[in-house]
Amino acid sequence: MRDDPTLVRLLRDIAAGDQSALRSLYDLTSPKLFGIVLRIQRDRSLAEDVLQDVYLKVWQAAGSYNPENGRPLPWLCTIARNRAIDGVRRKSEVQGPVHEDGEDWLERLADPRSGEGALLDRDALKVCLGRLDAVQAECVMLAYCEGWSREELARRHDKPVNTIKTWLHRTLASLKGCLEGAR
Amino acid sequence: MSAGPFDADRDFRAAEYVLGTLPADERAAVEAEILRDPVTEACMRDWERRLAPLSLAVPDENPPPRLWGAIVQALPGPSAVSIPANDNHIAALAGQVRRWRLASVGAGLIAAGLALFVAVGPRVPTPDAAGRYVAVVTSAGDLPALIVSVDTRTGTAQVRPVAAKAPDGRSLELWYIGADKTPKTLGLVGSGASRIALPAGAAGGDGLIAVSVEPQGGSPTGQPTGQVVYTGKLIRD
Repeated sequence: MRDDPTLVRLLRDIAAGDQSALRSLYDLTSPKLFGIVLRIQRDRSLAEDVLQDVYLKVWQAAGSYNPENGRPLPWLCTIARNRAIDGVRRKSEVQGPVHEDGEDWLERLADPRSGEGALLDRDALKVCLGRLDAVQAECVMLAYCEGWSREELARRHDKPVNTIKTWLHRTLASLKGCLEGAR
Repeated sequence: MSAGPFDADRDFRAAEYVLGTLPADERAAVEAEILRDPVTEACMRDWERRLAPLSLAVPDENPPPRLWGAIVQALPGPSAVSIPANDNHIAALAGQVRRWRLASVGAGLIAAGLALFVAVGPRVPTPDAAGRYVAVVTSAGDLPALIVSVDTRTGTAQVRPVAAKAPDGRSLELWYIGADKTPKTLGLVGSGASRIALPAGAAGGDGLIAVSVEPQGGSPTGQPTGQVVYTGKLIRD
């Protein structure tokens, strides 16, 4: 299981150069990280290249993981998201076409299997996203989970990019207010 | 942090950085800001924490099994080609060799790209196979790129390219890495099957075969200078 103590131990061993620890970490976490990368990159073959980079980065950066700054799986997810976003924003990797299947991210947040612990954070985020204007909350979720750019969101809603920026600004401010109030 | 509207633009920059919507130039600027400004960095960490549950809610997706091999191959090591295939690899390669032998008999099932290998035909069994080694050289994919057989008694290696392609203006160079871990060139990979002499000191048999991308005409230094694109372990024939 990818529980925190196991992942923390593996990261420590990886930092010491233990390749078998990297293998164990890969076995435990690659489906999650590939899911994240693939949603953003959208092209399966390029997503594989990105995932390869992600684990090379983990190999190099494992020593910089500090349990006091957060849990290990979100730390790994952040590395994967940042690498995927960097690639598509720099256009060094061409992003695939938008998924048309329309995942309901708010619904997925409510899935008890998807929370990986931290139930309070998850529930708070779900409640707060649910309180936002539905269209604007969807922009936040599409951007975060599926790598939509401001321009893509502008096209989807037939609005100027600056309007999207304002929406995001307003939505994120409301979200922060709600989450801080819930803590 | 206080609730309510953003205290500063930088919190919004950090938020949009985490959200992923910043264009490349703004993204790079925020990254630089995070490095020099602990407050921006704290804003970013807070946003990562706030939105992390969404990331964890993304459905799992299994990467293809070959990806791990590609990662191992790309790991920086003492030498780019010093990472030996593990036991599983050897077992897998032995299985591949068996399959390729079978395939060379059942020629009707062979895909067109493998014609070169087929053209070589079924192997003639030799009474004494000592000193003969074979490596199926792959790029972590399913299909072999090269099949290299080494005969240490005659001091020759036979190279059969199957799907190896050099990038434009580059050459693929073949290396043998024996017990001393020093790559020895076996020459360039041509488009057809070729028989080449083994370098002195390569008579040990067991070892690794690697292929690197080199400037046209081969490595200028006598050692691999470019990316190692294929590796395979020699196994006793």
